[in-house]
Amino acid sequence: MDPVIPSPDVIPVHWLWFQVLLVVTFILHLILMNLILGGSLLALWDKISGKKEPGYAVTLPVLVALTINLGVPPLLFVQVLYGHLFYTASVTQAVPWILVIPALILGYYGSYIYVRKRDKSPQLATTGLVVSLLLILYTGFMLVNNSTLTLVPSRFEAHLNNPGGMNLNIGEPSLWPRYLHFITSAVAIAALGVAIYAKFTLKDNPEQSSAVIRTNLRRFAWFTLVQFAFGTLFWLSTPREVWMIFMGKNITATILMTLSWLLAASMIYTAFRGKLGITILHAFIVLVIMVIMREYMRSAYLKDIFSPSQLESKGEFWPLIVFLVLFIAGLGAIYYMIRLATKKISQS
Amino acid sequence: MNYPVWYLPGMGGSLLIAIIAIIHVVVAHFAVGGGLFLVLTEHRAYRTGSNALLDYVKSHTWFFLLLTMVMGGVTGVGIWFIISLAHPAATSFLIHQFVFAWAIEWVFFIAEIVALLIYHYRFGKMSRRDHLIMGWLYFIFAWLSLFVINGILAFMLTPGKWLETGSFWHAFFNPGFLPTLIFRTAISAIIAGVFGLITALFRKDEALRQVILKWCAGWMYIPLALLAASAIWYTFAIDPQALANILHHNPESSLFRKIVINSSVILFGLGLFTLVRYPRKLQGITVTFLVVITFVWMGGFEYLREIARKPYVIYETLYSNGIKPNEMEEINSSGFLNAARWSSIKEVSDDNFLEAGSEIFRLQCLNCHTEDNYNGVKNKIELMTERGIEAQLTGMGRINSYMPPFAGTETEKKALAAWLYRELLGNEPEVIHQPEIPVLSHTRPSFDNSKDEYVLLLWNDIGMKCISDNDKILAFLPPANTLNAQLVKRAPIPEIIKEGYNLKWETEEQHLNPQNHTDFWEYDSIIYGKNLPLATGLTGSKLSGEMKSVNGIWIADRIPLMPYRDDGTYNPYPLITVTASDPDGFVVATTSAVAPVSTEMGCRNCHGGEWSWNGVSGLSDITAQNILVVHDKYSGTSLADEAAEGKPRLCQECHSDPVVGRAGKPGILSFSASIHGFHANYLTGMYQESCNLCHPSDPASATNCMRGRHAGFLDCTSCHGTLEDHALALLKGQTHLEKADRLAASLQPVSVATMEEINPRTPWLMEPDCRGCHTNFNIAVDGFEGSAYNKWVPGASALYRMRTDNQGMMCAACHGSPHAIYGAYNSYDPMRDNIQPLQYQGLAGTIGTHESCSVCHTTDMNTSGHHRNQINRLYEAVLQYE
Repeated sequence: MDPVIPSPDVIPVHWLWFQVLLVVTFILHLILMNLILGGSLLALWDKISGKKEPGYAVTLPVLVALTINLGVPPLLFVQVLYGHLFYTASVTQAVPWILVIPALILGYYGSYIYVRKRDKSPQLATTGLVVSLLLILYTGFMLVNNSTLTLVPSRFEAHLNNPGGMNLNIGEPSLWPRYLHFITSAVAIAALGVAIYAKFTLKDNPEQSSAVIRTNLRRFAWFTLVQFAFGTLFWLSTPREVWMIFMGKNITATILMTLSWLLAASMIYTAFRGKLGITILHAFIVLVIMVIMREYMRSAYLKDIFSPSQLESKGEFWPLIVFLVLFIAGLGAIYYMIRLATKKISQS
Repeated sequence: MNYPVWYLPGMGGSLLIAIIAIIHVVVAHFAVGGGLFLVLTEHRAYRTGSNALLDYVKSHTWFFLLLTMVMGGVTGVGIWFIISLAHPAATSFLIHQFVFAWAIEWVFFIAEIVALLIYHYRFGKMSRRDHLIMGWLYFIFAWLSLFVINGILAFMLTPGKWLETGSFWHAFFNPGFLPTLIFRTAISAIIAGVFGLITALFRKDEALRQVILKWCAGWMYIPLALLAASAIWYTFAIDPQALANILHHNPESSLFRKIVINSSVILFGLGLFTLVRYPRKLQGITVTFLVVITFVWMGGFEYLREIARKPYVIYETLYSNGIKPNEMEEINSSGFLNAARWSSIKEVSDDNFLEAGSEIFRLQCLNCHTEDNYNGVKNKIELMTERGIEAQLTGMGRINSYMPPFAGTETEKKALAAWLYRELLGNEPEVIHQPEIPVLSHTRPSFDNSKDEYVLLLWNDIGMKCISDNDKILAFLPPANTLNAQLVKRAPIPEIIKEGYNLKWETEEQHLNPQNHTDFWEYDSIIYGKNLPLATGLTGSKLSGEMKSVNGIWIADRIPLMPYRDDGTYNPYPLITVTASDPDGFVVATTSAVAPVSTEMGCRNCHGGEWSWNGVSGLSDITAQNILVVHDKYSGTSLADEAAEGKPRLCQECHSDPVVGRAGKPGILSFSASIHGFHANYLTGMYQESCNLCHPSDPASATNCMRGRHAGFLDCTSCHGTLEDHALALLKGQTHLEKADRLAASLQPVSVATMEEINPRTPWLMEPDCRGCHTNFNIAVDGFEGSAYNKWVPGASALYRMRTDNQGMMCAACHGSPHAIYGAYNSYDPMRDNIQPLQYQGLAGTIGTHESCSVCHTTDMNTSGHHRNQINRLYEAVLQYE
């Protein structure tokens, strides 16, 4: 093992548990993240171009709260599996990394200002939106920075010469394509979100509803094409041994890649055709495949350096079981609360 | 050590953690208590039918949501971020140990968020019953979040059975779990009360405002009893050492103790004003102040909790600097830099000496300290020398267990000390000046073996004598040099003259004005309670006078000698000449002996400052003040301030000491046990070198007081043991005192295998017995085992300086002073300590050696009348002829 890579700690149960939990919770986080980032971009775009802002923009603060909340479990599980690399990468770029926290707080408040002041003080609202957007973009940039640095431990050594925590991973060739891939995907998913929101909130106005859905499905399709271009760039900007896993070197990864291409093509078609339901289904499957491919990519980067399968497990299952039980109970409680919230007063 | 260190020399990760944590902790507790506050206030509004109160609940919910969900939620993630940067090893440990606890906490957290969002956004849009259910659900989930986090936080200080079993459940339900859960629940309610005041102020209806203020006051005061009870319970759950550290030992905690006490008084004192009706603006000021104080109050609590854990970040598992206790042995043998993954230097060399020190500081110290800001190192070491810093590093984690021990080799320790002293403090490397020793001479009184009828034997009682010469600041050894004499009338069976004669002493020229060289007589009233005439000692002795016969021994008691000659020369060996006259006034004998006195105590080697006397000797003001500063820091005294106010103290006022004749104060260690016990923790593993650092026993010192015949082949440790041995025996003599255990806790004996084998001793009264080696007065035949260490004489009367032979002659009369046993060599004047043997027998050995019985006996002697192995003893090695 490279001498600058710290030793990992022991994990309580087999690593695959955490791998599954990581993928599942990251998908949820990713969806919400796309909605707030893409939603903010769309809102700003509409505001600048004088159009009516997307309906669900009013829910941005709520989405921010849930996005941050749903960011917790993937961050937790990634630390369980890759903590020794993740912490080292974090320390290496500690200053911009810790600034994510005030950025999130201000961005969060910005989203509230945007929503609460839209009518009374539009300029202040726009400022809130811009500030919020910039800070969310900054947060995303830092997450990409940290994720990519985690994959290349040889770059940790930069810390030895510059221990002040300012070593951004700017030199990483895949950094910008990856970042832009995420941003454009977010806009695409957010457009899909606007369409879904319209579907549910404009039931009384079918014409307007279908117009909004059509417009945003087109936006979705175009941005999917753009993000596909950035995605391809991102893919090819990775080291040869990494991108080659999707070109036959790893059968599962290659199948997933092929599948994602086919589904993406089909999805663009259905979107242009204005088919909301089938497009959502496509998008969700593609997103799941992308998240799984991301894990394959991570493994390829860290090949010969580290694999979670090397982690020693204590075999302490009861805490996992308690968690799973409480997780299900928690979902039940959330369902119950939403039911209660949506119940009409007269019925109670 | 496993992880890189974020280099923040001016700020430190701890301060960043504190900033984020204090905000989060207050808001997070508010998120719990505030939830209950909302739902109960809503209940009350329905019960009283008050729409105005309900309106208040609604507006408070919005404030609550903005504060707890945004600030509370994100700062929670912020703590996670910042601890992973400042303490990655600990964070990794906690994440892996408690991953499912964190995951469970997340489940409660998301349920909490959903409940709150619904509670807020659906306020007035749901049935009362359902809305109240939502409020209760919010509170339950929020409290369950606290339940989970509390288990992890409490674990860090009280891991309990987990240390043995490694079980998740033992870790989570640790001894501190329940008391802290109750404690934090009570705090949550109190904070809910305080924050409830904020939105209450925006109510324009004065009557309603007053109702809410009183309601909030109830929230502040009702949980107080629970808070106090759980706090007391908690003190029983934590390690007594941790409790002692925050209550007594760790100086870092004193500020936060004061903060907690004062902020509690202000918070709960000022809080009472909420019950009184007064103008809204003033109420606004009061509430703002209460909110600020709440943050201060919580900050104080959290800081104390953090400090209680020190030196660990996870108790008994991981030191604050990321090193595990079980790694220490390996690191100390193979080197810290070698073991540190994130060091570009792997071994200390002459070329990288300071750079290596800097690297060690960065990797081992910066986790908690900054260079010169919060918890900065600079102001902690600026009074020390490089040697002192090294000692400080040695002592870390010993007496004051809140610091982790230094991890690394001796060379690495020196490199760190050098970097701290030279680079951080900006000092030049210390240059040790070799003192110039003046050449002195003496005139030896005559003796005619064929004519003279009397032999006068004179000696100093302890053979080496140090005095403290900065009474302006402190005192512990006054000028007081005692000489003993025996007068023998020569005959076939000589007679020891015990009374009726007159023995007068006189001090050597150049030493007759001690008052010009010390402020002893300026501060004698303050320190000793006596207003003495100049040049007069504590017992009234002057520089000349008549010896008194006490039990047949002639004594010149505590002559106030100084080692400073009037001509500016340092002479630690002034001569005292005694003239004996018979009852008719005829002079029958005259002799001289050295009265050793030195001010060359090496305090400055560690405590800084220069020598006060011509660069040779003497306790300078800076050195003395620095000593008091350290004493004040560790013992909570205010001696430095008192000295600055012109009230210097005698150390033995509190610390008992037979040699100064002070009983001290009950519960406090003797001076010897205290000073040796304390310093042994800082000067560990140094053998003779540690003796030399404080006492003038180094052959290269200006005094070089070890001048007896043993000097060539024995050192201090041969009889007294190493500093650790010496300290342990003294401390064992006072094991009834907690302080003795504390000082002894980290010391390992060197001369014996275990602490149990050490025989306790009383300072000055139970010294090493000469017969420890000289078993039966014939070492050449009998041999000996071990050393004199641990073979103490049983009491004062059995001391070498107090004992006699079979004929009533004192041991020291014939063998010389302790530490200057005849056959001595004095670096100022080679034969200065052998005046009498040379005067009476022409040989620098024991009186009577080499069949020199005729010194006293006027006939030939053929039996060992004084003790075994006296006659026919020709042990050449120890003889020095003039």
